[in-house]
Amino acid sequence: MKTKTLLPAAFLSPALIILAVLALVPTVYAIVISFEDRELSRPDGRFVGLDNYVSLFSDRRFLNAIQVSLTWEVLTVAATLVIAIGLGILMFECASPKARNVLSLLFLMPVILPRVSAAFVWKFAFHPLYGIITYPYKAITGQPLDLLSNPVTALGTVALVDVWQWGLFFSVIVLKLLETLPPQPFEAARLDHARPWEVYAYVALPMLKAPLISLAFVKMIESLRAFDLIYVMTRGGPGISTETLDMYAFSQGFIESGRISYASSMAVLMMIATSVAFTFIWKRAKV
Amino acid sequence: MSNIVCSHVDKSYGSINVISDFNLDVADREFIVFLGPSGCGKSTLLRMIAGLEEISGGTVSIGGTAVNDLEPRDRGVAMVFQNYALYPHMTIYDNIAFGLKRMKVPKEQIDARIKAVSATLGLEPYLARKPTELSGGQQQRVAIARAMIKTPKVFLFDEPLSNLDAKLRHHMRVEIARLHQKLQTTTIYVTHDQLEAMTLADRIVLMKGGAIEQVGSPAEIYEKPRTLFVAGFIGTPNMNFIDATVNRAEDGWLLRTDGADLRIRGHGFALTHGKEVVLGIRPPDLVPADGGEGNVLTGVADLIEFHGNDALVTFKFGGKEIGALVKASGCPAAGDRVAFRFDETRLHIFDKGDGLTLRC
Repeated sequence: MKTKTLLPAAFLSPALIILAVLALVPTVYAIVISFEDRELSRPDGRFVGLDNYVSLFSDRRFLNAIQVSLTWEVLTVAATLVIAIGLGILMFECASPKARNVLSLLFLMPVILPRVSAAFVWKFAFHPLYGIITYPYKAITGQPLDLLSNPVTALGTVALVDVWQWGLFFSVIVLKLLETLPPQPFEAARLDHARPWEVYAYVALPMLKAPLISLAFVKMIESLRAFDLIYVMTRGGPGISTETLDMYAFSQGFIESGRISYASSMAVLMMIATSVAFTFIWKRAKV
Repeated sequence: MSNIVCSHVDKSYGSINVISDFNLDVADREFIVFLGPSGCGKSTLLRMIAGLEEISGGTVSIGGTAVNDLEPRDRGVAMVFQNYALYPHMTIYDNIAFGLKRMKVPKEQIDARIKAVSATLGLEPYLARKPTELSGGQQQRVAIARAMIKTPKVFLFDEPLSNLDAKLRHHMRVEIARLHQKLQTTTIYVTHDQLEAMTLADRIVLMKGGAIEQVGSPAEIYEKPRTLFVAGFIGTPNMNFIDATVNRAEDGWLLRTDGADLRIRGHGFALTHGKEVVLGIRPPDLVPADGGEGNVLTGVADLIEFHGNDALVTFKFGGKEIGALVKASGCPAAGDRVAFRFDETRLHIFDKGDGLTLRC
């Protein structure tokens, strides 16, 4: 009985120790300094209680960052899933097995590209003067098209790159998931007066509910880590129109004013919010 | 009227022909069974009638309309699959209602029809459950309910009982027979189990290698098998086959076999002198011979299989294993010398070359 309880602990402890050193120490340290008034320019700091947190909520730039982050999260997750399911079904329905393999390979490529490289490639493609994507517009109207410098279109344009990487990748996963399903329920549905779209809407996708929810979760976490993509393409601009929470925390902590305590309090809030939100959604999705 | 007519139906995958020139008329209300070993094309044929497989050539018509180019949903057929093919995420109620919902049948009407169908099949207690919470037999009943509720013109069954255990299989077989008695819907039933075929069918279509071997009522197929293959496929225990050469004799024919010479009158058989033939005798048609009269097969019993009422005695005759089904009471023991005779009218004779019966 005793060995039974010891063995799992023995296997788990190395990983947990590494995790504690790498993740727990910085986390605890961030929480600690979020209650101080440290700045990068000064070596000392003193305890200020909840001051940082209180001032966050009167910081309009912070409130804007929350809104941008939420928009980014919803936009990229929803678009990725819609593209993935749509393309996956399209491949499953129309492509021959050979074509499916070729397409899968093609669709896997974007996600293999490091995100920073993808960001640079697309930034250049969107360049108002030399970009290949904006070229047709320029050729027709004679006006340059600068999507990344327009506050209305900048976030959507960056999201496009994110969806290009992840939507195509997930479409391959959706295709493979569809291929693993037994064909008989589909055939039964076709005999049961279901039109093709109804076969997917009422039979295939509900049968894939659990893996699709997992995919959504992976993408939600992945979207939270889109710092590098946004950093390369817009640096939060124009103005603060693409400034997500992590972007704002980064610029507060390291770029603009070096207010490391203020940035930490933002990070701590983000950590709490995401933990609560994800736990809540996970519990709901499981039912 | 919902008869089914298959005329010159072909099916090929690339250059491989799996069914060629299949012709069959199924009458309205008839219960037809496609019987054959696995890979004989019977399921493919059923799926072509259902619209789940492309028809490579020929036409299939249901109720007088050619359905080759119709979607499965427009053919008026309902199908029961071997592995039930229920929608795993839906309740039993929703499974049964799925087709009607797609047909936009009003809610109250769906309710009423589900009530009636589930009463017929004894499914009322399970309507709120999911398929995985039901046993195999119950799941298959749900599949039958789902097919029934659409009041289709034609029922198609694709080996529906193969996944069930022996006892349940018997039970469901009886239920399907009752259901057909009650609904009188034209039915095509695919199976490799001859017992199912014999008990359920109005007519059996026995298939081999994508072609029909024989079409007929169960009795016809059992009593007058058209080919050696049919004779060997139908009947448990299997028919005994003995190679023989036909010789003319003064009052009939002499069949020379490795074990003995058999004398027959040969009425009803097209025999010619010197022909190589295969004799077929079913094990129950061999009866213990007391005297030396008539055609007698003798040998030493080497295996006794106890079947309950009967016992199967296996003995060597002319180098071949021959089985005889005798009453279990007082059956010989292994090692005993046994002798069996048979009635000429119970004898089957096939051409050894093409395997066709010589009965005329």
